[in-house]
Amino acid sequence: MSAEHHPAHPTPSQYWKIAVLLAVLTAVEVAMFYINEATDLGSLNALILIALAVLKFVIVVGYYMHLRYETSMLSRFFTAGFILALSLYAVVLGAMGVIAIRG
Amino acid sequence: MTATAERPQTTIFSRPKSTTGFWSWVTTVDHKKIGIMYGYAAFAFFVLGGVEALLLRIQLTQANSEFLTAGAYNALFTMHGTTMIFLFVMPVGAAFMNYLLPLLIGARDVAFPRLNALSWWIFFFGGIFLYSTFIFGTSVPPVGVDGLGGIDGNLAAGGGPGSFNFLASSPDGGWFGYQPNAGPLYSPGTAMDYWALGLQILGLASLISSINFIVTVFNMRAKGMRLLRMPVFAWMSTVVAFLLLFSLPIIAIALFMVTADRQFGALFFAPTGGGDPILWQHLFWLFGHPEVYILILPAMGIVSEVLPVFSRKPLFGYSAVVFAGAAIAFLGFGVWAHHMFASGITPVAQAAFGLATMTIAIPTGIKIFNWLGTMWMGRIRLTTPLLFAIGFVAMFTIGGLSGVTHSIVPSDWQQTDTYYIVAHFHYVLFGGAVFGIFAGLYYWFPKLTGRVMSEKLGKTQFWLMIIGFNLTFAPMHWLGLQGMVRRTWKYAPETGLEPWNVAVTIGAFIIALAIAVFMFNWYTSKRRGRLSGLDPWDARTVEWMSPNPTPEYNFAVPPVVERLDHFWHLKYDEDEEGRAAAKPDMDQILSDIEEEQLNPRAPIHLPNPSYFPFFVALGIPVIFYGIIYHTTMWGKALIVLGVLITLSSLIGWSTEPLEEPHSEHADPDEGYAHEPAEEVMPS
Amino acid sequence: MTDLVHGEAVDHGHPEHESTEVDNRKLGMWVFLSSEFLFFGALISNYLIYSNRGGFEGVYPAAIYDIPFTSVSSFVLLMSSLTMVLAHNALSRGDQNGTKTWLFATASLGAVFLGGQVFEFTEFIVEYDMALTTNPAASAFYVLTGFHGIHVAIGVIMLLSLWGLARRKEGLSEKAGLNLELVGLYWHFVDIIWIVIFTVVYLLSTVPS
Repeated sequence: MSAEHHPAHPTPSQYWKIAVLLAVLTAVEVAMFYINEATDLGSLNALILIALAVLKFVIVVGYYMHLRYETSMLSRFFTAGFILALSLYAVVLGAMGVIAIRG
Repeated sequence: MTATAERPQTTIFSRPKSTTGFWSWVTTVDHKKIGIMYGYAAFAFFVLGGVEALLLRIQLTQANSEFLTAGAYNALFTMHGTTMIFLFVMPVGAAFMNYLLPLLIGARDVAFPRLNALSWWIFFFGGIFLYSTFIFGTSVPPVGVDGLGGIDGNLAAGGGPGSFNFLASSPDGGWFGYQPNAGPLYSPGTAMDYWALGLQILGLASLISSINFIVTVFNMRAKGMRLLRMPVFAWMSTVVAFLLLFSLPIIAIALFMVTADRQFGALFFAPTGGGDPILWQHLFWLFGHPEVYILILPAMGIVSEVLPVFSRKPLFGYSAVVFAGAAIAFLGFGVWAHHMFASGITPVAQAAFGLATMTIAIPTGIKIFNWLGTMWMGRIRLTTPLLFAIGFVAMFTIGGLSGVTHSIVPSDWQQTDTYYIVAHFHYVLFGGAVFGIFAGLYYWFPKLTGRVMSEKLGKTQFWLMIIGFNLTFAPMHWLGLQGMVRRTWKYAPETGLEPWNVAVTIGAFIIALAIAVFMFNWYTSKRRGRLSGLDPWDARTVEWMSPNPTPEYNFAVPPVVERLDHFWHLKYDEDEEGRAAAKPDMDQILSDIEEEQLNPRAPIHLPNPSYFPFFVALGIPVIFYGIIYHTTMWGKALIVLGVLITLSSLIGWSTEPLEEPHSEHADPDEGYAHEPAEEVMPS
Repeated sequence: MTDLVHGEAVDHGHPEHESTEVDNRKLGMWVFLSSEFLFFGALISNYLIYSNRGGFEGVYPAAIYDIPFTSVSSFVLLMSSLTMVLAHNALSRGDQNGTKTWLFATASLGAVFLGGQVFEFTEFIVEYDMALTTNPAASAFYVLTGFHGIHVAIGVIMLLSLWGLARRKEGLSEKAGLNLELVGLYWHFVDIIWIVIFTVVYLLSTVPS
């Protein structure tokens, strides 16, 4: 335990700013939903909403979970699980006809 | 934080103290005792699974046999598969990993000793829960379902001659529980709930273990034990831990969906409600395929330890063997639908998965060639562990070759659901994993007991086993290709399948005899076997630097590792031709090591035993019994009771320090007390 | 004979070890969380498969979502990550009062989120007749959000336990501080799963034709 180094932490005011950013992103997501309801954007809607979700995801993981400042080994474990899940389930969704896998 | 001399008493019950006797086993957090318990439990289930197999074989010896009803047969092959996979091979792997992993990396215990005990108790209660289906479970034929009446009206496992009435209560949906056959409509009764919930409990045990082992390997290695200096078995254990970590959550969800269908009326797999049976197959095999690598990699690790020692040569291509193991695991996640070639997946999917399956042959081949390369030009000592290891290489290769034939899709369409497949997986799982396990048992027996097993009995067992095994499973290749269908309780005489089936059954009983010889050998060797001393095999790796039987603290002085096969290089130099030459003072070196390790010069502090893992684990099957009977008052009461037991034990656990502080320099808030300053560390 | 004392620790993070420098329990938590992706991935995949399949009897979840309501509860959960990280920050500065306050705030926001889930489920079942047994899409919806809710509930229990410990006169110790960090990691993870669920299940889901 004594060997654990303490990497730099954001300050409380930075945490608040991040929270405001997250709230704004959420508001944009909800706005997108209604915009899409009114003026069907097709797959652009999905693209934008997924991009926004990814952004929120990365911000929470990087700053609130502190992964940005931790040793890269932790990122590798975490990312490995994520990529594995994404790949495996993408194939299942393809096989079950939810997403089209080209070919 | 302030340090105080006295310790606030936070637990209601005082900390258990015993190190011997019954309660010491119930409260132990020592990885070695836990490993031993896993081993004995696994072996007991091995015998049960074997009896189930023998009953199946008796039925199949004769055409149109009435020995078992169809229902009884279904129950037996379900329980045989479930038992062998989840209650034998996996826990025996856990037994080896628990006992050996800290020793192999020069550590005193795993990262989380109490969590380790928890895994064991969860497994133990899970196994009992699953087998309690024989007492409490019910399995009745589906009623009023169109098109079903049972062949000869004997779909029911119970009733009539050849039904073995106790089988009327056991799961009969196959170890793979295909839906909707194993769902509420076609498998009414509670037996398949015992199956689904039992596996759920067992999965939880393994998941917890996997986290423990990963942290142990990454954080607890002795000084100088770099990752690429770890023994291969330690590497394979790590790879297996990752396989478990990532595959178990999938089966947990799948089993929950089955329980939701069966108990709560969900419609995940019910065709009449819109559920998709193929979804079950995807989710099950997403777990199921990594599972088979979980079953085989520990045995591959054992073989990689045994072959070098008895060939008196280093493992050929250590890094390649390690990376091949990791590659097998990685690729193993991408091939699951090769179990589904005949289930209606698209041609593109078939081609992709067929190709992916073929690629696994590459790292597997690397390992096989490297094992052969290890033995080539070695100075072979034909001991029992080596015989089993060689048997592994030969039998696993055969099984691997038949596996490659399955990867060719049109070929698989002919082979699937025939005995050809049964031959394949028994060659890799029995000829492979089980032979590897026996190699390991003979090899590491001295660490447990300080004695060596009888070579005469060992060789008897080996020859009986290899003959019996091949007699049992080789004919299944051609029986399958001749059309003998799996999971079917009888065949007609006109098929001409009977003569070879007789041979198969004889082989099965020879295997049983071999196991009996083993059990006799184990029992007598424990009591009267030749004493082993520190290094009975002239071994290579650091677990042999700890005395036999292993002291509770493992190493009085943890080794400082300088290179791969560190122990070997303490004993041997290289001559001008690069050959091993024993150091002139080798005997003195060994006796010095033994003396140092048997006599610690300072107090060694170990985690205290604990009641809590036992009780946390106990609550879990109580909850699950409650789920099965949740529509009754008793069921609801059991759920509440189980939650109370587990929750209160968790609270107790969280307030109990891993170790009671030593009186002189206790810091009650410091979770990890320090080594005493005067403890001697190796220079 | 050896002088065994059942007392102190095994060599945690002892300088004589080969180690990753990450505390055992922290590494364990990250490893566990990475496995949870496989867990929730299966649940989300189930939902995607069945919610996009037409022809079921009964109500589809996407037909009855109350997006404004769910947006508010998503916001609540998101803000609980802020309060969580402020609690951790307060403890690292030795501010026991701040720690207590922010821990309680996090647990409260989590409880509010759960209350919202309970309300939503009740509405669906009572008002719209969509239960677990209605159709596979409904089954998938309830099991996914149900498991997420269970994770939140476990988190709230852990947060309240920490808050209880923080209310003692001596406050939270350094050891408990690590526990707070671990609970925080878990809590944020539960939040990011909801980020995915909110988008994929609520915002992007449409009733198949």
